[in-house]
Amino acid sequence: MKKRRFAGMLAVLTLAGAVLTGCSATSSTTSVQTKSSSPQGEKTSQVVNIYSDRHYETDKLLLEEFSKETGVKVNVIEGKSDELIERLAREGKDSQADLLVTADVGRLHRAKEQGLLQSAESDTLSKNVPENLKDKDNQWYGLTVRARVLVYAKDRVDPSQLSTYEDLTDPKWNKKILVRGSDSIYNQSLLASFIAVNGEEKAKAWAKGIVDNMARTPKGSDRDQAKAVVAGEGDVAIMNTYYYGLLLNSSDSEEVKVAKQLGVFFPNQTTTGTHINVSGAGVTASAKNKENAIKLVEFLSSEKAQKQFSEANFEYPANPAVEPSDLLKSWGTFKPQTINLTKLGENNKNAVQIFSQVGWK
Amino acid sequence: MFAEIRGLSFRYKNSSVDNVKDFNLEMNQGEVTCILGESGSGKSTVLRLLAGLEFPLNGQMQINGKILFNEDKFVLPEKRGIGMVFQDYALFPHMTVEENIRFGLTNLSKQEKTERIREMLELVHLEDYAKRYPYELSGGQQQRVAIARAVAPKPSILLLDEPFSNLDAHLRQSIREELNGILKDTGMTSIFVTHDREDAKSIADQVVILDKGETIGKGKAIII
Amino acid sequence: MVSYIVKIKGGVNLRSGSSIKRSFNLWGMLSAFFAALIILPNVDLFGNLFVQPNENWYHIKTYLLKDYITNTLVIIGFTGVFTVLVGSGLAWLISAYDFPGRKIINWALILPLTIPTYIGAYTYNGILNYTGVVQRLLRNVLEVQVSPKWLDIMNIQGAIFIFAVFLFPYVYTVTRAFLSNQSASLIENARLLGKNSLEIFCQVVLPISRGAILGGMTLVIFEVLNDYGVVSYFGVQTFSTAIFKAWFSMGDIDTAVKLSGVLMTIVISVLLLERGLRGRKKYSYTTSKVRPIVRTRLRGLKGFWAFFVSFMFLSLGFIIPVLQLLVWSTLTYKKVLNIAFLKLLGNSVVVALVAALIILGVAVIIANFSRLQENWVGKLFSKVTLLGYSIPGAVISMGVILFFVDFDRKLEWFYKALNPNSITLVLSSSVVMLIFAYSVRFLAVGYQSIEAGFEKVGKKFFEASRILGNGVTKTFFRVDLPMIKPAVISAFALTFVDIVKELPLTLILRPYNFNTLATKTYEYATDEMIHEAAIPALLIILVSIASVYLLNKLGEKEGI
Repeated sequence: MKKRRFAGMLAVLTLAGAVLTGCSATSSTTSVQTKSSSPQGEKTSQVVNIYSDRHYETDKLLLEEFSKETGVKVNVIEGKSDELIERLAREGKDSQADLLVTADVGRLHRAKEQGLLQSAESDTLSKNVPENLKDKDNQWYGLTVRARVLVYAKDRVDPSQLSTYEDLTDPKWNKKILVRGSDSIYNQSLLASFIAVNGEEKAKAWAKGIVDNMARTPKGSDRDQAKAVVAGEGDVAIMNTYYYGLLLNSSDSEEVKVAKQLGVFFPNQTTTGTHINVSGAGVTASAKNKENAIKLVEFLSSEKAQKQFSEANFEYPANPAVEPSDLLKSWGTFKPQTINLTKLGENNKNAVQIFSQVGWK
Repeated sequence: MFAEIRGLSFRYKNSSVDNVKDFNLEMNQGEVTCILGESGSGKSTVLRLLAGLEFPLNGQMQINGKILFNEDKFVLPEKRGIGMVFQDYALFPHMTVEENIRFGLTNLSKQEKTERIREMLELVHLEDYAKRYPYELSGGQQQRVAIARAVAPKPSILLLDEPFSNLDAHLRQSIREELNGILKDTGMTSIFVTHDREDAKSIADQVVILDKGETIGKGKAIII
Repeated sequence: MVSYIVKIKGGVNLRSGSSIKRSFNLWGMLSAFFAALIILPNVDLFGNLFVQPNENWYHIKTYLLKDYITNTLVIIGFTGVFTVLVGSGLAWLISAYDFPGRKIINWALILPLTIPTYIGAYTYNGILNYTGVVQRLLRNVLEVQVSPKWLDIMNIQGAIFIFAVFLFPYVYTVTRAFLSNQSASLIENARLLGKNSLEIFCQVVLPISRGAILGGMTLVIFEVLNDYGVVSYFGVQTFSTAIFKAWFSMGDIDTAVKLSGVLMTIVISVLLLERGLRGRKKYSYTTSKVRPIVRTRLRGLKGFWAFFVSFMFLSLGFIIPVLQLLVWSTLTYKKVLNIAFLKLLGNSVVVALVAALIILGVAVIIANFSRLQENWVGKLFSKVTLLGYSIPGAVISMGVILFFVDFDRKLEWFYKALNPNSITLVLSSSVVMLIFAYSVRFLAVGYQSIEAGFEKVGKKFFEASRILGNGVTKTFFRVDLPMIKPAVISAFALTFVDIVKELPLTLILRPYNFNTLATKTYEYATDEMIHEAAIPALLIILVSIASVYLLNKLGEKEGI
């Protein structure tokens, strides 16, 4: 009895020891083998490696589709954009990543600034992606667009009362505005766009005005803001179209009910336009499979893929040749901000500082 | 001379004075030595030094011509061939009586081990308790297991730390006699530590009296 | 002959050294090796502490730090007190009393740990918010419209609640392991001296298990300090907000690392201070006569109350959120669940298993070395094990990447020799890097438990075994390891569960196309799709339950 027990403990420990000493050896050989059999390491073979912070089912389906069409195997590491950028930086010239995909243009700009991206010229891309949705050096291309809009309680707010983002700082909205925290990149980009459009002073005054009119301390996600409007905590929420689409298509009927009590309003239509942010992709400086990477971006900007982004993921297509989905169209067409999106990246840090100065939690 | 300790001294890490000073002892084979002293006199420390559980500051020790420690040599406790009965016995709680006794037996065939364990159980009169766990035994029984475990590997010297301290007063006399019997039966050279003069008188052949680490008396038990 | 004699050069060494310690060079060497492996990836981070601070640092210091530190202290303080009271109280109840349902609750109380705290936060908010079951019931069935403020959990009190109900098992498990074989006489003595249960708990149990309780609480505090998911979702600003604000919002990882360093320094000094206050008091058995505690049977109303209290905490930390997740999963399983989940499950289990075994091995070796080597080297190694746990995972991961990329570059010639087409980053694009990072990060979890086990056993048995002719290593296998087995088992359970749900390291250090249940959960949760996230989250919980249950069975069989 005792012997068996002891033997068991011993076995566990030896195993641990074996793993400890042997682990690195075995796995390194396995990974070397993988490499010789799979194309990951060889420049000539058909593969493309992606770092992506977009976690959507749609993306996965499109990548599979791409592999099927072209025979190029797609390898993905999904993570948070900042961490992926840092990993890319630390791996340096040896990085296996060919393409960086993020859901925020500010991050692409940051990667560019750090010298992690390279220019990628392509006729297809110049045709598919309009000038204001891509980098001026062609280091990244926008793929999908999200608008940051106002949603309001249909029973309490008449849309004619709504006009601009700036109007939300008016005292009539005191304790009525709902918006999430300043650590959200969507809010940072929003403020960054105001810095670009209206200048720093006015942007700061706007942020201050919103803080004064907030119905509660910022918290929760975009969806939570919508629910708070319906719950009566405030009247108007600033949120992304994408999340409104999700809410409207929720698997929970109660959430659908919430969405139906809300209206969507595109602000600043007669002035500077509604704020948009794009998801985009950039070829990495260390790319070992540059051609495949470009091929993939071309594929993602193609009409077929763009349609899918719009239909299944509630995002506006970047490709002007593609119509938004019916759901998106039902909210109406809108005039977007026309600033170069690079500005969102350039002004990001400034925006973050303004947020903490005015006390936007 | 069977065993000899010369000039042994020791100091604990956080102590400012020597806890054992210039301790000397000679023993003949089969002799029972008693170290007598109040608590804190350093008597248990001497045992730990002899067993190899503490590192001496100075001094040397040899048994039967084999050096256990001196200026440039220190034999590890597991290689000394010394037996020890701890004050609270330290019986392994996850092992039965039999397994406890078997623990120290090495270099014996399985048969020899079984035989040796039987002998030991007989010696301490616990033949019926082989499969019990320590917590199922009384204090006196636990002590006898501890002695059996220490004696089983045939150590050159047996050390006993306060062998009577945990026992009821009325048991004391009978245990003394029993222990005396066991020691005489095995012909074991032994050192035991106690604070009780009666213990010393009744069993020991020679007595060393310690006070604050210093030897203040030494001689045949009868004289004390 | 020579092998067992340790040479000593003159009197100097004789004076400085004390006793047995010289003999285990092997243990010392292994411990030093592991300690070095833990420190190396963090060297970069330490170096950063001494770099001139930049404007971002000053910005954070001026506008944010004061509030953030206040919030952090409030959260840590309350969470600490709650988890200690609940965790040690339940451990005592389970160890000293017998009542209906005790057997199940005994092992089930570790289950709240299987739920990642950020999922717990999403779930409780999902229960309490406007579309949640509570308000829905009030609104649609009872037709009462309550102010959402009353049911709001998204605030600092809410965060404390979440941490307390999901993290108390750290204290519970470590303390229970300590008490389970506790020398019963102390407690029985106290009973005989006319002390009632509460007095025994406060005057005997708390003081003797202080080491274990503090060990558990240390884990809770680190877990809270490093949390970003719960506090950012609830809109509560803490020290980790500052760290990630510097990194994610300002793109300034140097300042982020510097802030982590400050945090770590504070935490470690507090721990050292505690050790200092505890001084040379020992909390191990003063006697080596160990026997299991005899549990008092609680009948009738008392039994019911004991059951009720423990069941209530089990419900808050486990049953309620799991029921909610189950309900959500019925909404989405058709869309989400598919055969690919088997792969995720396999990945999660294998990496967690391997990493947990490595951690056990390393923890046992260092803990054994440190307790026998009662000097600063031993203490240092013991403290090094905490390193990985005291810095946010995301920050550590960056050190690990740098370490592995360097290592790979040095080994490039070797890879090329094996395979001329080999890439350079072999190890750093393999799962080895991830497992290494897990081991660095969660060593503290396993170590706390095992150290408590050693502390309980003390050194008497070790010495007895040495005198009976067994060397350090043989003694370890024959005496020490069997005696600390309850601690080893709970260490395994804790680390395994922690790794299965781990997120930041898994997310950033995984190889291409390597997904686990945790990353899948995150994918949905980060996209505000908590209903979809319920499925992988439930699988995480299921795997953890299975492991805890099996280990508990193992423990029972061995009579622990």
